[in-house]
Amino acid sequence: MSLVPAPIPARLGAAALALTAVTPVALGGLLALRTGHLAPLGAVPAVVFGTLAATSPALYIASAAVGTAPPLPLVARAFATALGAFGVALAGLILPAAFLALSSVEPRTAMIVASGAVGAAALLGLRRLAIELAPDPLTPRIGGSVVFLIWTAATLGIAARLWLDFAVEVLA
Amino acid sequence: MSAAVEARGLVLLEQLLRDRGAIRARIAAGRDLAALTRVMVATIAIAMAVVGAALGSYRGGVQIAYAAIKLPLVLLGTAALSAPALTAIGAALGRRARLSADLALVITALAFGALVLVACVPLLMLGRALELPYHRMILATVAIFGLAGVASLRVVVTALAREAAPGCTSAVAGLCIVFALVGGQLAWALRPYLVRPRATDVVFVHEVEGSLFDAIGGALRSAQGIYTRDRAPLPDVDAREVEP
Repeated sequence: MSLVPAPIPARLGAAALALTAVTPVALGGLLALRTGHLAPLGAVPAVVFGTLAATSPALYIASAAVGTAPPLPLVARAFATALGAFGVALAGLILPAAFLALSSVEPRTAMIVASGAVGAAALLGLRRLAIELAPDPLTPRIGGSVVFLIWTAATLGIAARLWLDFAVEVLA
Repeated sequence: MSAAVEARGLVLLEQLLRDRGAIRARIAAGRDLAALTRVMVATIAIAMAVVGAALGSYRGGVQIAYAAIKLPLVLLGTAALSAPALTAIGAALGRRARLSADLALVITALAFGALVLVACVPLLMLGRALELPYHRMILATVAIFGLAGVASLRVVVTALAREAAPGCTSAVAGLCIVFALVGGQLAWALRPYLVRPRATDVVFVHEVEGSLFDAIGGALRSAQGIYTRDRAPLPDVDAREVEP
């Protein structure tokens, strides 16, 4: 058995990307249902995709500058695979999240559950991105790893701040 | 149920108890998973009904039937809500996505745990026979369920370790977290199972008063001295005149 991650096959890849588009909206719908605000419907996808759109060019530029970036098409494919992984992970978590959120009385619990689900899916997506960008795990490059860690911290920090502002506004 | 199907079900149960490697191989090969899942679902339903009845017997009466109905629902509902997380988290990290095989694996693991619980029923009955105090009975029940949980988890971990695919560890960790959260909430929503013998009225389920996590949050706030009520709802207090 190989320990190299199985690439997401073409058919599942399309389905995974479709899930990536749909699941944040579904999670937003769940929060909208629980909090009585329509804002989460657009805010959840906006935080997820907006943060990634704003920070992803930086990862390529910094990796290329330290000489560890794969060619641009491979980086683009890695991002697409990671986005697919995020969608698949969130799709698996949305059913338990819906149950937990809808069976609670306090909207705060629903927000904590939704935050946990989207956070876990984001971490899994980032881990998949790290795997895809480092195809040879036996010869890791320190420069590339440092760049990726800093980029991950910055991306998660921005997303967490935006999410916190959104949560405070919705729960107020 | 025909005799042949019944016999096949019993063979599967025998395999589950004595030769779990064969069951794991069958799941890995994807052979006749629907039949396997059906047998395991029936096993969980019957075994948990027996365990529920044993728990209900602590109070006796209608609580025996209530707990026997609710406990299978908790385990099967939790499995249905949680199993997709195993597939999804694994697939996100590069493991082959096999929802039916993962569902069969989770249900099989839970069926094994349910059989372990059935094996522990005499201990619950002993507690009842010795008239163990309520809180000690609760602790004994938690310990027995913990043992069954570890047995179930071992079945899943062993199966995924043999698979040696990427993302297995994260998938198992994710499954455990999701299962604990969903199972805790579903069990909370359908409580009570173990009722004090002196309880005069028993209910099938308590009124909806928030989730387990709302209750934990409330308890944490109360522990910090932050109360959202003027006073605790004591029995009989409402019936008496209380000085402010």
